[in-house]
Amino acid sequence: MNRRSFIRNSAITAAVPLFLGALSACNFHTRRRPQNKILILIQLIGGNDGLNTLIPLDNYERITKARPSLYIPERKILSIKGTNSAGLHPSLEGIKDMYDNDLVTFVQGVGYSNLVLSHFRSQDIWLTGADTKILSTGWMARFLETRYKNYPQGFPNQKYPDPPAIKIGDTGTFLFQGETIDMSVIINPSTGFQAPEVDLPADDESTFAAIEMKSISEVLLQTQHYSQTLKNALNTTFQHSKSYPKEGENSLADQLKIVSKLIKSGSQTPVYLVDLKGFDTHQGQVDPSDSTKGAHADLLKKLSQAVSCFWEDITAMGREDDVVGMTFSEFGRRIMSNASMGTDHGSSQPILFFGRGINAGIIGVNPVIPEHVTVQDNLSLQYDYRSVYSSVLKNWLDAEPTVISDVLLGSYQEIKIFK
Amino acid sequence: MPVISSYSLAPYSGKWETDDLLHLLRRTLFGVGHKELEFFRKKKLSQCLDVLLTPTTALKPPVQEDPDLTDPLVPIGTEWIEAPFENEMIDSKRSEALRSWWVSRIIGRDFSLTEKMILFWHNHFPIEMNIVKDARYDYAYYAMLRTHALGNFKKLIREGTANPAMLVYLNGNSNKKAAPNENYSRELMELFTIGKGAETRYSEDDVKAAARVLTGWKDNKQDIRSEFDPLLHDSGDKHFSPFFENRVIRGRQGADGAGETDELIEMIFQRTATAEFFCKNIYRWLVCAQMDEQTERNIIKPLAQILIANNYEVVPVLRILLQSEHFYDKAFRGCIEKSPVDFLVGVIQQFGVTLPSDISENLLCSVIIHDFIGGLSMIIGNPPSVAGWPAYYQAPKYHRWWINPSSLSVRMELVNNLNSSVGLKCNGPYIKFDLTMFVKQFKDPENVDLLIDHCVELLYAVRISDAAKNKLKSILLSGQVANHYWADAWQKYIATPTDEEAKNIVETRLRAFFKRMTNMVQYQMI
Repeated sequence: MNRRSFIRNSAITAAVPLFLGALSACNFHTRRRPQNKILILIQLIGGNDGLNTLIPLDNYERITKARPSLYIPERKILSIKGTNSAGLHPSLEGIKDMYDNDLVTFVQGVGYSNLVLSHFRSQDIWLTGADTKILSTGWMARFLETRYKNYPQGFPNQKYPDPPAIKIGDTGTFLFQGETIDMSVIINPSTGFQAPEVDLPADDESTFAAIEMKSISEVLLQTQHYSQTLKNALNTTFQHSKSYPKEGENSLADQLKIVSKLIKSGSQTPVYLVDLKGFDTHQGQVDPSDSTKGAHADLLKKLSQAVSCFWEDITAMGREDDVVGMTFSEFGRRIMSNASMGTDHGSSQPILFFGRGINAGIIGVNPVIPEHVTVQDNLSLQYDYRSVYSSVLKNWLDAEPTVISDVLLGSYQEIKIFK
Repeated sequence: MPVISSYSLAPYSGKWETDDLLHLLRRTLFGVGHKELEFFRKKKLSQCLDVLLTPTTALKPPVQEDPDLTDPLVPIGTEWIEAPFENEMIDSKRSEALRSWWVSRIIGRDFSLTEKMILFWHNHFPIEMNIVKDARYDYAYYAMLRTHALGNFKKLIREGTANPAMLVYLNGNSNKKAAPNENYSRELMELFTIGKGAETRYSEDDVKAAARVLTGWKDNKQDIRSEFDPLLHDSGDKHFSPFFENRVIRGRQGADGAGETDELIEMIFQRTATAEFFCKNIYRWLVCAQMDEQTERNIIKPLAQILIANNYEVVPVLRILLQSEHFYDKAFRGCIEKSPVDFLVGVIQQFGVTLPSDISENLLCSVIIHDFIGGLSMIIGNPPSVAGWPAYYQAPKYHRWWINPSSLSVRMELVNNLNSSVGLKCNGPYIKFDLTMFVKQFKDPENVDLLIDHCVELLYAVRISDAAKNKLKSILLSGQVANHYWADAWQKYIATPTDEEAKNIVETRLRAFFKRMTNMVQYQMI
């Protein structure tokens, strides 16, 4: 008996064709052509090594001294249009092409001031948008709550026919967690989207169980409200870019493919979150024999490939002016390499934006590498991460200044990321 | 907000009702059915705890059972846990076999808290087997969790600090004097012992100093163990912050350097925060995810003192918690969403589903059950990160994290398959409910009102409305109102069990009835 083939054939674990039957694609044809702005957030989980992503070329010998086992040989670094002082990791070929076509901008040195090296706390800091306070809501959820007032009561409606946010994956995210309600609908890349039956318990909050069941029921009802439009959207026929890797090879590409299909269907959801795991490269970040290979090179390659395939889709559907993507990670990594061909947790990182709505280029200056680096040394902060969020809210999602300061619990410097 | 009536650890002295017993069993075993209820029903609370807190006896290690695999060094039916490494392909097969063996241990559990505690420790002190990449190390890690499951927290952490799988997982094996690697020492403090809360102000320098203490440990693939290499050890003095009362761990030379690790663990376990961190985590597993200020003051802090007084033996703490007035407070009934193991192993246990007795079919079954549980976001042996599963740390959702539209639809698909005439396909063999057998074990199953009450009592930790009961009743009565329709159908089936038609009438109604019961939100709660 061959167990592998059984596992693949199992109805439950295998990717089932989405929504056999029950299809009426006509729904989406009648929908008006959407013009809303869309933000794709790409979370690089584990802490991306910025110094080996956007590589500073001034004083390169200091980098070769600080990280002798993992610096990229200078001749292998991809040069980018209009600058000699920075280049890209050789895995980022797709990103380089986009950069050279004015579709990419990097914001240098993004982070927050009192460094926390715990993955979990630092992820929370990035997702909640607060570093000194402990919040239980996501910054994006707080913004979406101002736009989708009283959600989920009265939604979907004519003005807002689609979910406020979509998370691709099998679980929810802090980013979209509101005070009581999750602002997102979750779409699992392997099982797709199915709306389960709901049996509401009595409306009673006298026990913990009642509160829990009420909250589960709300999630389910919410999903049911969107089920038909999402089913139709996922059944949209669309010829994806031929450059996509095979399914299962690049999880980020698989996720972005679903996003592209939803955008193609006319979905007016303004925010999506996708992720790529594995950036916690304490060990084996590079191959001992070749620093351009190894775990980090593989991850950057996936990122680059996924983003450029996705962008081909967006271009093919003529939505280049409406879609912008942004990466973030809980922190960067230490300047010095460790003895395991890897790097430990560090501080600030370069943030990648892509799209036609951005001012292409590099914002900020190269990080300064001290002449004699110690294990204590970290890259200095140039932009508070909330400056980035604030600029996204103001210049991309058209939020009012008072809304922005409410969402981010204060005012932050504007960065000229967007055109 | 819910009202908690008792914040007392005093022994529960109310009447010991079936409901209270079921609450205890739901929280401590995976799945509660007739078998569990019968075994415990006549026992007093203290006798129940005697059984639950007795560790399961030692088990035989897994053996090579996979007919498709040619493991040249390990013939079918023999153990591989001390065999040479062989190669990555064979190792990944062994690791897969280990993980499904683990699941089969959970399914085959006795009446001890042991299996739940193994999973608790796996979440609290995890490794990811697909990073460790040596099934023999993985087994040694599992065996360690098993040994200390109902044992001693401090001993577990001390042993785990130099456990070969852990040394690989958190890079302890590349933590050397010349280039310290902080990965393990950071997680040791943040996730395994002290925790990161408002009162736990250890410093970054403490993390670095602890990393230096731990330099020198490495794993040895030849002998499948760890060893201390003095040449790699930093024998300088290590200074700690005021949080550790400015302690200095004096550097030691030679093989004696390993003794610094003992000092470090002692120092960490002298912090009350370490005991409180464990007590909060176990409370979240067994009682409730939410903790108000009174719970912290009147439950967590006293439990932590008991843990310290018992030199970190966990059983005394578990006993006091599980026999307390607080634990049996009605406010907590059904407030925990079932984890994927609670759900899938639970439904199998609860309905008395039998797995194939043929060894190789049984193996295929546990392989796929492991994968089903994984599909519900709990891959045993490979938690999502060193923090374990977000359901146990991510506020405000906690256990609610398990439930989303996608996971819930998969849960329903699994239970609906088990509740079909064909059954759930488990890699070849099918497993399914035997509903007439299940119903026969209730008292007076021909009485439709009693049957519904008994099913609600056993299957749900929370009560349901009369309206919901009436809907259930109308399924058994096929939409009619007179109770005798069910009684007649049931009695006819009992009188003539071989009459296909009589059997079919009863079975189709029971299938629809239990489909509704298992698809309601209430069924997700324990």
